[in-house]
Amino acid sequence: MLQLMRKILLLCTVLILSAGCKKNFLDRRPTDKLDSKALFADPLVGTRVYMANLYGQLPIEDFRFYDRGWSYVEWMAPSVVTTAFLTDESIHSQWDVKLADGGTSWWEPGYKLIRDVNLLIDLLPELSMTEDNRKMIMSECSFIRAFAYFGLAKRYGGLPIIKTAQKYSNNVDELKVPRSTEKDTWDFVLSECDKAVESLPDVRSGDDKRRATKWAAYALKSRAALYAASIAKHWNKAPLSGEAVDKGLVGIPAAEANRYYDECIKAAAAIMNSGKYGLYKPTPASREEAANNYTTLFQDPNAAESGTAVEPIFIKGYAKVGEGHNYDLWYQPNQTSNGWANPGRMNPSLEFVDQYENYSTPGEAHPIVTTTDGDVNNYNGYDASRTYLRFDGPNDIFKDKDARLWGTAVLPGTTWKGKTIIIQGGYIQPDGVAKIETDANIVVNGTTYYTFGAANWTDYSGFNPSNLQMTRSGFSYKKFMQPALMPPVERNAITDWMEFRYAEVMLNFAEAAAESGASQAEGTKALNDLRRRAGHTVDIPLTIGSVLRERTVELAFENHRYWDLMRRRDFHTVFNNTSRRALVPVLDLRVTPAKYIFIRKTASKTVQITFLPKWYYVSIPGISANGLVQNPQY
Amino acid sequence: MIIMKRIQLYAVAVSMLLASSCSKLDNYGAPDSALYGSILDIKTNELVEQDIINGTQIEFLEQGYENPISQYMVIKNDGTYRNNLVFSGAYDIRPVRGNCLPIDMQRIQVKGSTQLDFKVQPYIRVQNVSIQKIGTKVVATFNLEQTVAGKVKKIGLYAHPEPIVGEPVRTVAAEQQINTTTNINTVYRLEIDLPANASLKPGKEYFFRVGALIDVPEMKPNYAKAVRIVI
Repeated sequence: MLQLMRKILLLCTVLILSAGCKKNFLDRRPTDKLDSKALFADPLVGTRVYMANLYGQLPIEDFRFYDRGWSYVEWMAPSVVTTAFLTDESIHSQWDVKLADGGTSWWEPGYKLIRDVNLLIDLLPELSMTEDNRKMIMSECSFIRAFAYFGLAKRYGGLPIIKTAQKYSNNVDELKVPRSTEKDTWDFVLSECDKAVESLPDVRSGDDKRRATKWAAYALKSRAALYAASIAKHWNKAPLSGEAVDKGLVGIPAAEANRYYDECIKAAAAIMNSGKYGLYKPTPASREEAANNYTTLFQDPNAAESGTAVEPIFIKGYAKVGEGHNYDLWYQPNQTSNGWANPGRMNPSLEFVDQYENYSTPGEAHPIVTTTDGDVNNYNGYDASRTYLRFDGPNDIFKDKDARLWGTAVLPGTTWKGKTIIIQGGYIQPDGVAKIETDANIVVNGTTYYTFGAANWTDYSGFNPSNLQMTRSGFSYKKFMQPALMPPVERNAITDWMEFRYAEVMLNFAEAAAESGASQAEGTKALNDLRRRAGHTVDIPLTIGSVLRERTVELAFENHRYWDLMRRRDFHTVFNNTSRRALVPVLDLRVTPAKYIFIRKTASKTVQITFLPKWYYVSIPGISANGLVQNPQY
Repeated sequence: MIIMKRIQLYAVAVSMLLASSCSKLDNYGAPDSALYGSILDIKTNELVEQDIINGTQIEFLEQGYENPISQYMVIKNDGTYRNNLVFSGAYDIRPVRGNCLPIDMQRIQVKGSTQLDFKVQPYIRVQNVSIQKIGTKVVATFNLEQTVAGKVKKIGLYAHPEPIVGEPVRTVAAEQQINTTTNINTVYRLEIDLPANASLKPGKEYFFRVGALIDVPEMKPNYAKAVRIVI
């Protein structure tokens, strides 16, 4: 018996081993992959299919993006967190979202995309197609390569520039390409944009309408040039040292700034002078209309594509319910959760809301004044010795604020998805005792008042500290969200994303003009045209402060603020032991009828946040194997 | 049944054999040495006050390998440092990105308990410091002795419940942007108004420390010793 068993074992082993020796085993073709001959049998169809894959890999920072890359969010469902939580734009209702050491790793996916596009570039001369088509596809490849290198350069600085797909020939060292200087890297990005502009078409239509046009390439160039210019100009706000700095792998000489600003202006001007693009509904009749227009623009960017003034320049479309994003689940106020267990996460912060202009004082940020003494720097909470301004309604204090605030945030007592959103942090009892951010109720003249504005937690959206879906900043979130109630199902929202829109191009132009001193008249006009669309009627002068404020409010929550703080080296100043702030609406029962007062305070249960200057660059992975010079202080 | 048992036995034996081959992680010795010392002012021979978080670091490279990689130690607030788990051997070592003029790498041999003090020139000496509670304010006065040309960027009075108080670790700060060359005779005055800072609770003790930051890239503030005050 034992011997038989042994024989069987032996037989099995021999069989298994011999199976491995089948003829041409290494030359066998995988059955789940196509080779280039099969894929490009019809070259135009083949490139189209291949392109779809490349576009899918583009580092577009849309609803599914977070600082740790696109894949990071996948394991816990997309849109759980966004860069807004890492900037001064927003507080998370539950977590203190902090930038991890380095963060933003996109090295391997970046170089995978570059290899994939290089393979097509290498293959392109062999494919049979008209010269015009070949040029067009070559330009499209340049667009993708520029986008990929931009995504890498803003994280890592100077890069190994790889222009053809590498081949392995038993010598690993041949594959090791050293980093170029940061300056040369940005110059490469810009020159790829120029090549993209050359032969990309003017317009796309039909099934191809989401593919890049030459205007998308110009928009990319204006954004990239502004990034490079900012590093050159603002490096000295947070200088670094070390080998990478000495070799120019990070940092750009200040003398280069104006050349890059000029490139930015020229690229933006090409779009602005093309006559093809404009602002969506540029001259609203009222502030309410302006706020409405601003909200609808992001709910459906395709609506802004019709007519003469087309705002979107490059759209990433979402087509399939079930493969969309979760903004509508996680970020809506508690009252419109529609059964979803974890709403209310996005809480626009007071320091962000303070940035909006008042219509009565155009041209300056207008922090919200809540007391007669006008002190907006006191965040100590309710102080009975101060005199608070009293308002009839919970949002009267915002009446004079820029319409875009109303279009971006859900303000206390406003209507959203058919419900009045109640955001209230407490009350002052008739005897003067303050009950704030604690669950209580009181009967005054036969009426019961609740600290959070309603008896049941499903009927209000703010401040209850024992409930994680309540805003702790005093604001909830609206931008990009669908106007109707959404089913509580993951990846259900398929809002399209404008990666490039005309407003950003105008702001790129205005910033480059303000920083370099060139094209002042056009820059001033761009700034004020944008403000006009938001219901402002008084023009303001072009200053760097006014452009940056305009960027903050116009491009809010579009994942620009994070990179603006990065490229202008403002992150470590804005976040240096910095507390997050809230505006708490409180019902004052000392007067009849009761009125609202507002308290500026440090948001509950938040920590102070500090940004370290070395985080302006991400650490490069795999240094010991790839032999690259590491970024400073990693 | 017996056969099955035997096969099981084989399986156990084989897996034990495989497992045993992985049991030794490496055959290097454990870190058996300690390295400690101080950052000392080359002129006064006093400890140079530091920040433990985001402060000066000591960079060290263990020799004997190709392309050694920089490692870093932090320094305690009083200006001393200690690492009790260091491999014996040769190291290149120096303090970096701190509050004193950069000094050259030096080669040291670490064996057993090794002391290494760094004699440095701090950018700024914070002198004649007085921090006291006056009425409802905590008031600090001090002079600054700059040891290099150039500007002092800012000065600050920092408060925190722990003695590691400093620019990076504070509950409350009263800072003033200076952006000028300072004179040793100028008396600087900073104050924290206690009622205006609700995070400092009356009756509790806090540590207060004054610091001044030189306007040199990547550099850290210089400090005087922290003072404990019950407010």
